[in-house]
Order: sequence, then C-alpha cells, then structure tokens
Amino acid sequence: MNPTYFALELKRFFRDYTGVFFIAVLPCFFYVVFGAAQSWSDQSVGRGNVAMYVMISMAAYGAVTATVSIGGSAAMERMQGWGRQLGLTPMRDFTFVATKAAVGVTVALVPIGLIFVIAAFTGARGDLPSWIVGGLVILIGAAVFSVYGLIFGLLFRSESAIGAASGTLVVLAFLGNLFFPLSGALLTIAKFTPLYGYVSLARRTLTEGYILNGTQNGSVVFEPLWQPIVNLAVWTVIFCALALAAVRYGRRRQ
Amino acid sequence: MVQTGGSATLPPPAIEVHGLTKQFRRAGQDPLRAVDGLDLTVPAGQIMAFLGPNGAGKTTTLDMVLGLTTPDAGTIRVAGMAPRAAVRAGKVSAVLQSGGLLADLTVVETVRLIASTFDNPRPVGEVVERAGLAELANRRVSKCSGGEQQRLRFALALLPDPEVLILDEPTAGMDVTARHEFWATMRADAAAGRTVLFATHYLEEADAFAERIVMVSAGRVVADGTTSEIRARGAGRTISVDAPEFDRDSWIGRTRSLRGVTRVDVRGRRVYIAASDTDSVALALLRDLGARNLEIAAPTLDSAFVALTGEHADAAETNGETDYTAGDMAEVPA
Repeated sequence: MNPTYFALELKRFFRDYTGVFFIAVLPCFFYVVFGAAQSWSDQSVGRGNVAMYVMISMAAYGAVTATVSIGGSAAMERMQGWGRQLGLTPMRDFTFVATKAAVGVTVALVPIGLIFVIAAFTGARGDLPSWIVGGLVILIGAAVFSVYGLIFGLLFRSESAIGAASGTLVVLAFLGNLFFPLSGALLTIAKFTPLYGYVSLARRTLTEGYILNGTQNGSVVFEPLWQPIVNLAVWTVIFCALALAAVRYGRRRQ
Repeated sequence: MVQTGGSATLPPPAIEVHGLTKQFRRAGQDPLRAVDGLDLTVPAGQIMAFLGPNGAGKTTTLDMVLGLTTPDAGTIRVAGMAPRAAVRAGKVSAVLQSGGLLADLTVVETVRLIASTFDNPRPVGEVVERAGLAELANRRVSKCSGGEQQRLRFALALLPDPEVLILDEPTAGMDVTARHEFWATMRADAAAGRTVLFATHYLEEADAFAERIVMVSAGRVVADGTTSEIRARGAGRTISVDAPEFDRDSWIGRTRSLRGVTRVDVRGRRVYIAASDTDSVALALLRDLGARNLEIAAPTLDSAFVALTGEHADAAETNGETDYTAGDMAEVPA
C-alpha cells in the first residue's frame, strides 16, 4: 500500500459532499427514523432489540454504498486514462488494488462507526458477540459489493454510472429485506436478491436465525443458515464472473 | 555509464526499436495493422519529432515504447532496458494525450501522489516551478485549462528526472497561445540534455522544435531526416490557379495530362497542381488552358508530408476525412 496515495484518496472522499451524504449521513438518518424514533424500537429481538436490528441493517446499507462507490470509481479512473498515467510510474497493479481496498474498508468504516455510536446512545441493545460479529460481517461482506461497483465502472466509465450503481442499491436493499421486514411471496423473492444473504448474515448473531415475518404481528420464522450463505456465495461468484467479462470487454474496446 | 558485460563504453541509444508490429482486432473486419515492422533508433540527447496523420501508428508505437501496450513482434530497448524496466527505473517518462488526471485533486496534490510512487523523485516544489505551475499549485485539476493540465502532465513526467521524455501530441486541442507557452516551457527544459521524442501532426511544431523528423504512415517509417532534408522530399513546387468554371471536368483532365504534372488537387474553385517542371506547366496553364490568378509555392513541409504519406496533415486531424467540400484528389502516375 502507498500511504500518500491512501491519504489523498481519503481527502478526495471527504471533499465529495454528495458522496459523504449518501454514504455516511443518509444511513444514519435512516437508522434514527426507522430504528431509534419508532415506538417498538426496544422490543426484543433475539439477543437484543429492534433498534439493534435496524442499526445493523442501516450500517450494512451505508457500508455497501461506500464500497460500490469506491470500487466503481477505481474502475472508472483506470478506464479513463488514470491507469495509463499510473502505468508511467513504478507502481505495481497490486499496490494500486491494495491501496484502493484499504480506502474502501476505511470509508466503509465511516457509516458503520457513526451508526454504531449513535445507536449505542439511542437505545440499541445486544450482547457483545452480536455487536462484534455484526460489524465484522458488514465490513467483510461489503468488500463483495465493491466488485458490483467495479462492474458498473468498467462497463459505463462515467461518474453518473457510479451514481446509478449506488442508486440500484436502494432497490436491492428493499428487495433484500434490508429496510423493512418482508413477508410471503416478497420474502421468497428476496432470498434470491444480492443484498439478502449479506444483511441476513450480519444480523444472524443477534436474531439467532429467526427472521421477522411482517404479516403476522411479532411472529418469527427460523431460517436455516445455508440459505443466506448460499445467497452470498452465489452472488459473489456472479459478480466476479461479470467483472472478469467486463475487464475483457474493456480491453477489447481500448 | 558502465554497461554490464558489454564492450561498448558509449551510452546505449535512448530508444532502439526493431521490427515493431502491432495488430488490433476489429469486430467483423480484418485486423488493423497499426504498426507494421517499424525500425527506429534515437541517439541519446536528440530531439526528434514523430510526424504522421491520425491512425499512422504514432500513439501505438509510443505506448509500446512506454510498456503500456505489448507488441505482437519486434524488440524495444529504452536506455538499454526493456520498456517496463526503464519506466520502473525512472529512465523514461511521458506526457500523454488528454484524459487521465483526477479532476478533484489539486495540481500540487496530483504531483505529490505521482511523486509517492517513485523511490527518488525530484522535489515536488521544483517540478511545479519548472512546469510553470507555481501560481496554480492549489487549483483543482477540474478548474485548469487544457494547456494548464498539459503542463501538469509535463510536471509529472519530470518527477523521475528521465533520460528520455516522450510527448504524445502534447499540444493537441490547445489554442495558439497555450501551444506557444507549452513549447516555451519545453525549450527551457531541453537544455538539460534530455532525449525528447514528440509525436505531432502540427508541421510547424516539428519544424520549430525538432532536430530530426521521422514521418510515419500506415505503421511504417516513410521518411527520416533533418527538417530541410524532409522538405526537399516535397517533390518540387506547387502551382495553384483559379480554373475556368465552364466544363471543369475536361479542363482538369487536360491539366492532368500536361507533361510533368504529378498531382491535381481540387478545392472548390482553386486547383492545386504538383509538378516537376512548374515553369512549363504554368506557361501551358496560362496560355492554353485559361487559368487565372496563378501562384507558385516553394516546397513546404506540408507538401513533403502530402508526397510521402498521401494525406494532408490538416485533413488528417479529422480522422482521415478530407476537409474540402466539393473536390476530389487524384494521383497521376508520373
């Protein structure tokens, strides 16, 4: 990793107010509105309460928004000629990837950290493993979605494409059972969408595998562990395959 | 400089290219042979212009010299090393065509970032000063003009203090003032004894700045020499006349058949005629063919360019499309 490059990349992130709003501010706002401010926020869920459940969901949403944006812009910059500029330096591709990965993780930590701190002061309750495992799964899983951003950057090569990639995350978050609990046919569909496995695994230590069933008030159903794992694994493979295809397609267009 | 295992005590040539070939696949078409067996040796310290129309293979050749593209065949040595090794060692650097800067960084941040990738770069303040960017240091790249961005790329190229500096159409898209400023900066730096290789399709830039001109067309070297040598290849003077408006096609046919005429080029009402014996052709045009407003022009780099590459430098800028509306260009076998 190149520390000067890393520091300048962080500076670039905080300079982009729109990015900071969507990655850090909006997920915090969502947590407050859908979690802390709700009357049922202290109802019990597994090893904690609803506020904690919403906290993990929104932190996951903020983290993937961060990594999609960093992954997308990394690909776009390279396709737009910055890659050629770096090609005139001794920097190796590995150093570039490592530096961007470190930036992605650091930026993803911003919404996670902010929401966890706000939640800790606004009534989120859960045992220590739920906090730790929740945070770690959010961070590691978010890396998968940097590949999702990468695909958009490789194929469309424009700032607005990266914005669009982040925008699709809102839809995927609804479909992925992230923003509010789905039920019935929608819940069945949700299990096949990309964000479902990720957020379900992040909340699993807290929920102990029980997911809220929105139609019947307060009732829960148990979900076997393999379901979210297969979901995340399959989508990881799909994203990586698409990214590889996009790299080859991009090379042909050069 | 000591060469390992070699008997030579002279430094190796700055650039040595043999049989360089590169093809690009195109969907549904035959592969495009961008560079076709190109040979080139540039001695250390020389300032050389690489001249040719768009699509002649200039950028592709320079990309291979810089290790940005892998050749299909041929060998490249830069300061005696393989291209990528020469880049890693800071022996060669380049100012590339537009694009490739991060718009949200400032000028000095960009220089600091690229400097951080080198082991022993020149000080950031020094290259900023030498590229004439001191007053713009804290300006965002997005707020810099094309000429200012190009000077920034020049500053980045100075960071490793390279022996060989490559400029790929460094003034493309700049206005006249910006072009003059850019070359003034370059001229101030040339005293450092660096080898400079620049690609251009502005003939006057090649004329003013280079000691040697290498012309390429269709991926091959078609001419190589000093500016005056190249100009002499321009195959003589050019006559231009106003043709009579009546029955022009047969008029042009008769002009083509005059003894010594090598080329007839129609641009609107004006007709340009290249010929080996311009005096007798001019006489025939005025006496027998009713031509008016006759002018005879001495050979220029432009005419050499046309003679050697079969294309106009100006026309080449619009990707090979001719820039005159109603006209045709005909080559007459000599």
